[in-house]
Order: sequence, then C-alpha cells, then structure tokens
Amino acid sequence: MNEVTQTRSNLSNSKRVAGAFPYWHETALLVLLVALMTTAHVLSPDFLDPGTQLELLTHVYEAGIIALPMTLIIITGGIDLSVGSTMALSAVTLGLAFRAGIPVFVAAILCVVVGTAAGALNGFFITRVKVHPLLVTLATLAAYSGIAEGVSKAAPVSGFPANFLALSSGGIDGVTIPGIIWIVSAVLTTVLVIRTPFGTYLYAMGYNEVASRLSGVPVQRIKYALYTLAGTASGLAAMLFVARRNTAKADVGNGMELDVIAMVVLGGTSIFGGRGTIIGTVLGVLLIHETREFVSWQTNRSELNSIFIGALLIIAVLLNRVFANQNSRTA
Amino acid sequence: MIGRRELRLVALIAILLVVVGLINPVFLSIANVRDILVRAAPLLIIACGMTFVVLIGEIDISVGSLMGFLAAVLGTITSSDHLHLPTAVGIAAIMLIGMAIGSVNGLLVTVGKVPSIIVTLGMLTLLTGATQIVMAGHWITNLPRTLRYFGVGSILGLPVCIVIATMVFVVCAFIARQTPYGLRIYASGDNPGAAKTFGLKVNWLRWSVFALTGLLTAVATLVSAPQLSVIESGFGQGSELTVVTAVVVGGTSIRGGKGTILGTFLAVLLICMIRPILTFLRLGESATYWEKAIQGSLILGAVLLDQLGRPRGKAAIA
Repeated sequence: MNEVTQTRSNLSNSKRVAGAFPYWHETALLVLLVALMTTAHVLSPDFLDPGTQLELLTHVYEAGIIALPMTLIIITGGIDLSVGSTMALSAVTLGLAFRAGIPVFVAAILCVVVGTAAGALNGFFITRVKVHPLLVTLATLAAYSGIAEGVSKAAPVSGFPANFLALSSGGIDGVTIPGIIWIVSAVLTTVLVIRTPFGTYLYAMGYNEVASRLSGVPVQRIKYALYTLAGTASGLAAMLFVARRNTAKADVGNGMELDVIAMVVLGGTSIFGGRGTIIGTVLGVLLIHETREFVSWQTNRSELNSIFIGALLIIAVLLNRVFANQNSRTA
Repeated sequence: MIGRRELRLVALIAILLVVVGLINPVFLSIANVRDILVRAAPLLIIACGMTFVVLIGEIDISVGSLMGFLAAVLGTITSSDHLHLPTAVGIAAIMLIGMAIGSVNGLLVTVGKVPSIIVTLGMLTLLTGATQIVMAGHWITNLPRTLRYFGVGSILGLPVCIVIATMVFVVCAFIARQTPYGLRIYASGDNPGAAKTFGLKVNWLRWSVFALTGLLTAVATLVSAPQLSVIESGFGQGSELTVVTAVVVGGTSIRGGKGTILGTFLAVLLICMIRPILTFLRLGESATYWEKAIQGSLILGAVLLDQLGRPRGKAAIA
C-alpha cells in the first residue's frame, strides 16, 4: 500500500511538472461558469431563481451520471460511443417488460441489468478480442439502437405508474433523486480516483499502457470493469429518463454519446488519456448545461445552442493545447 | 492487387445476390439494382474521402451534418422561394463552403493540434445548429429543374449520381494507388514519424485529406439533396456513421496506413443492400427496423474476422 501511495504521488508529481498549480483548467471553467451566471443575472434575473435552476438541472442529471464513467474511460485512453444506444436498449427493455405485465420496479432492475450486460459486451470485445474501443463501440452504437428499434418496432411505451415516476420527481429540497444519485456518484468517483490505487492505475494506463501492463497493472481487468460500469450508468440513466418523461422508446439517448464526450473533454480530460479530473467533468457538465439553458431562455431559439456548444468545445480544447504547450516549454 | 478482404466482400455480395435473387427474383431486377446504386452513390462519394482520412490515421464525424448544412445552403440559394439564384452559383457555393469547412477541420487538427475526433465532433454540433438557422424551421421546396437534374436526371440512360460516384471512385482509387500523393498518405498513416523523417509534409497531407472530404461531401450533397423535391432539416443526419462503417468494413485500419478504396466501395454496396434485402425477403413490415442492428453486427463481424486471421503473437503486442 505504501509503495502504491508512493507511485501515486510520483505520478501526480509527474502530472504536475507542467506548473506549480495543476488545476488551471478547472479554474478557467469555474471562471467561465461564474462569468456566464453573472451575465445571466444581469440580462435576466429570473434565470438565476433557485427554483428555476433546480428545475432546469433535472435535464442534465442523466448525462452527468454517464459522464463520470466516461471520464474514467477517456483517462485510460479509451472511448465509449455506445452509451446513447445502450440507453435506448435499456429503455426499450424497461418499456416492453412493463407492458408484458412485469412489475415496474422489476422491469427497472432489468433495465439496469441490460445496460450492464451491454457494457460488459463492449468490455469483452475490447479486452478479450482486443479490438480498438472506437470500433467496438461504433459497432455497438449501431447494433444496440438497432436491436432497440427492431424489438420495439420504434413504438413508444408510456403510462407508467406514479410510484415509478416519483423516481424522477421525489427528492430533498428540490434536488431530485437523479440529482442525488449524480452528486453521490461524483463524490464516490472522486474518492476512487484520488484515494485508491485503482485511480492511479487509470492515469498510468492512459499515460503508457504497455509500461503499466509490464509493471503489473491489471490493464485488461480494469478496462473490462470500466466499460461495464459505463453500461450500468447508461442503464441507470435510461431508467431515470423514462421516469422523467414517462415514455420508453428506441430513440431515448439519441446523441447522448456526443453530449457526454463533449462535457468530459470540455472538463479538461485529454482524449489521448492520462489526464483529467472528475471535478473538471462536473464543471464541464454544468457549463454546457447552463450555456444551453441560458441560450434557450434568452433567445427562445434552441438552435443557437448547438452553435455555442460546438464552438465552446473546439475553443476550449484549442486553448487547452496552447496553454499545455506553453507550460511544457517553460518546464 | 485484390486483397483478401476485398475477395471476402465480393463473395459475400455475390452470395447475397444469388440467395435473395432465388427467393425473390424481383430483387435482381434492373429497377431494384438501380435503386440500390442510387442510394449507394452519395455514401460512396463521401466514403472515398473518408478512406483517405482514416488511412492517414484521423477520423471525420462531421460529414453527416455538413451534408445537411450544404443542402440547406444549396436549397436557399437556388429555390425560387428564397434567393432564386442560378443553379451554378449554388453549386459553386457549396463546393467552396464544403472545402472551406473541411479546411477548418484540417487546420484545427494540424496547426491547432486538437484531436480530429474532437474537432469534428465540435463541427458536427456547430453545423447542426447552423443548418437549423438557415432552414428557419421550414422545408425548402421549389427546387429549380436544373438542380433536380443532378438528383433524378440521367446521362446515356444512367442516373447522374451513379455516373458522378463512379468517376469519384475511379479517380480516388487511382490517386490512392498510382500517385505519389496517395502513397504519401499511406506512408504518413503507417508511421508519421518515419514519414516526417523522410521529408514528407505530413501536416499538409493531413490538412488536404480533410479539405478533400469536405469537397466530396459537397459533391455528395449535390447528387443526393435534389433526389427529393423538398429539403428537410434532418437531411444527412447520421450518415457519418454509415460512412465510417463502410470504411472500416471495407478493411481500412482505424490506426491508419492500411486499406483500399475498392474495399470501401464494396462495403458501401453491401451496407446499401441490407434494407432492400430485408424488404425483398418479405419478412414482414417490421423487418426493416433491424437494418441498424445488422449494420452494427457487420462491423463486429469484420473486426472479429480480422482478429482471428491475425497471427497470435501480433495480437498480444497490439
């Protein structure tokens, strides 16, 4: 354990050679977020009303939950494009099971199980068959949503009982259950990344996979676990989404993978692996969410959203590269 | 010159043609074959550019939304409800815009050093929004007849889009195999460091394949958007997945340096056969819902075959 701690501090030191303060990206995001909220406060004070904010936040919890395992996957240098289609598959499972007369909470468990299985299948192809994750998850992106469409014939299921819908509306002080799940998992994931050897391994794998494997890091097992975890998170997100919208359909989660990856990358996780934090991802999620909601709020034109977010993503990564280059030059 | 992957694809296509043809001879009718080819044409045009992008070790997932954006621009410029400018102006405009957007992707990848999947993901998002703004919530109708010609017209009895796609395919296959430019792309994708050491302008090559893909996406838009009499805002959406699928199933390595335009061509044909096959097998109305599932399994099958065919020792290193 001591040795592992030592390795970790060495690793995090090597991450920090760039400068004395390693969290400038997170700071920059926080500054952007505060700037956005200040602008929002000046332009339309109603937007900052706590009730409104909490209500709007319910739109982003599902993406936020998936963004956590996605961060871990991208830190190891992988990617998962299939989270959206896993959501579709899970949601359709939930819908069809419910329509077949299975009690709704059993169906909900089934929904999470199917998500986990879908993630595990990704993990199988990536670790056992050793295919590039981009390819595997591109294939399952098509396959899972295709199966969801085929099984459900693209027909929606709705009319879920009130006690199931309460999953998305109940909560404490306006923070709904999905929100609580997101916050708790974010804290747990942070602890996992910062305080355990597992967390250290993730960075080591992203930094140099072969060296990590030769040093005894169980690379394949960790990858298997991460992709399975992403599946579980997608299944969970699907369940919460169905509870929020009261509809289960094969287009649930459509485009979710791009949203989530944008949030993670905006949060400062390097797509090449080896760098990234959960707090950065949480800030990335919030920044994209608030930008999106504020633009809609202010202009009533949701199409401006995607322009802002696309530009934000490119500019953020570009700036990140520029600063990273400067830092490495001074080091 | 023809590789193992290409032979397998030819065999698979031949078997499918024979089997489905025996079950339902209408499948082999000229009208149906023509339908399949017309559907394949725009995808093939983009897939040729995408093959170069993947060969050099990059990816471009913005082509689908670029198609949508270019279709909106093309419609707005030429439709008599909007600007009503000559068709030639519209065509020139989308070629320039397509190439410009491809160039921006390329610049961000080469000069900005941002990974291509992020650049093109950002561009995908951005262009989706831009398309909605151009369309302003309406369909574009009243496309001029000169423009419709590129979608539904024919030259010597062959649909225009098939003729153009064939030309693009032949030229790209020639470029890839017979010109220094093509060989440099293979070299840069296989080992960028070595290519640089040998004096190849790897960054220039990278930029050029993105610009080329932008241009070819414009060509694909020109032959596909006017196939229908209206342009909707969802046009082109998701075709990046089909195109990347085709390139990968066609045998191009996602790590770069390996693959052929011919393989891509065959894979495009195969993918475009899925839906008609599902229809012609008379499996019932719901059968076509399985199209995407089959597409996904195709990629998995292709990579599995590759992995099984690979020598053991090599797999362990990779």
